[in-house]
Amino acid sequence: MKTLLDFLAKYYHWLIFFILEVVSFVLLFQFNHYQNSVWLTTANAVVGRIDLWERSVLNYLTLGQVNEQLMRRNLLLQQNNDELQRRLAELTHDSTQTERLLAERLQGVRLLPAKVVTNSVMRRDNYITISAGEADGVEPEMGVVSGTGIVGIVYMTSRHYSIVMPLLNQHSRISCRLRDSQYFGYLRWEGDNPLHAVLDDIPRHARFKVGDIVETSGFSSIFPPGIFVGRVRAISNSDDGLSYKLKVLLGTDFSRLQDVCVVAQEFQTEVSELEQRADSLNSEVQ
Amino acid sequence: MIITFLQRLLWMVALVAAQVMVFNYIHLFGYATPLPYVYLLMLFPLNTDRWSILLWGFVCGLLCDIASLTLGVGMAAMTFVAFIQPPLLQLMVPKDAVEDLQPGIATMGFWPYVRYTLIMTSIFVIAYFIIQTFNFFHPLDFLIAMTSSWGLTFLMCLILEGLRYKSEK
Repeated sequence: MKTLLDFLAKYYHWLIFFILEVVSFVLLFQFNHYQNSVWLTTANAVVGRIDLWERSVLNYLTLGQVNEQLMRRNLLLQQNNDELQRRLAELTHDSTQTERLLAERLQGVRLLPAKVVTNSVMRRDNYITISAGEADGVEPEMGVVSGTGIVGIVYMTSRHYSIVMPLLNQHSRISCRLRDSQYFGYLRWEGDNPLHAVLDDIPRHARFKVGDIVETSGFSSIFPPGIFVGRVRAISNSDDGLSYKLKVLLGTDFSRLQDVCVVAQEFQTEVSELEQRADSLNSEVQ
Repeated sequence: MIITFLQRLLWMVALVAAQVMVFNYIHLFGYATPLPYVYLLMLFPLNTDRWSILLWGFVCGLLCDIASLTLGVGMAAMTFVAFIQPPLLQLMVPKDAVEDLQPGIATMGFWPYVRYTLIMTSIFVIAYFIIQTFNFFHPLDFLIAMTSSWGLTFLMCLILEGLRYKSEK
């Protein structure tokens, strides 16, 4: 305190000078419009500059937060971009010959699009769940195809979902034929490689070669005739030696299956009923 | 003490009156206006209390400003010169000068006093013009007005000192 008083006693004239100058300038700006306007303009410019600096510093300090927001935004945009890219690829996809043929074969047949919800290829009895059910017009015993070939047969339906028994199921039997020679047999899976199935019951006198196309026969009401299934990969004799057993490389890669279509044929119900009636008559006769 | 005070008061009233009634109306060549009321601050002797000089300068400037409708300009300039005067005078007089030396031609000699007047009037006029103009958009006009006013102020202060010197003699 004493030091402060000593200091003031020694330099009091500075204080008086300062106060008197302040009073002078206050009066100057108060009563002189010109000086007042110049002062205000200059003061505004100075205050504006200081504000700018302050904002720059504050902006720098909040960069972390901004960074986080940007990162979130970036993630969101990345997701959007991926989704749009996927849709674009779907729309501009150049269809392969198999897909074009498939589309031709399926003309006049009602196709119900669906997404694969669950899928497996590793078990011996695989099942696929798809996102279409009774509400969409799906019924049991309808065929299911993908862009590259057949998939399987609808096994059970609920309101919005269906379970499909694919080719990769030991209980699956689909009537197929060789495209060139028209000999037919039954396609089944032996439970090992998900890319290969076996076509049984091809008669011994049939003529064919490796690479021939296997397609649906159309004998059942499930698939229309001529839908691509795969190609003959190897030829061998059946266990009883009465027919050939063909190893078929499947067109559908079940481990990458995403989009499928359920095939709803116009007279499927009628044909099914007729077949059931014939079966029952048979059993009565026997 | 009281006589000194009254003398200063008289000087102040006379200088302010002269400024307001005569010098404010002089605009030589359209620019030059003498401001000799700064002479009041040049009268203060060595080792005067600094608060006293500051207050005299402030009040003198205030009176002049009120009468001239330039409130703040003269006050600020006079207060500034009042703040400078004691150390400046200290520098201008010999070290062995008497403690309460009254600045003037008689005590300091002619040329030292001219130098003292030159510096004091320069500081005052520069301060006054900067505060009054408040910008440097027309530097040439500013310099002409300031220099010519300073010349007249300097001259008037010397004349006043000459008159005082003669009357004392």
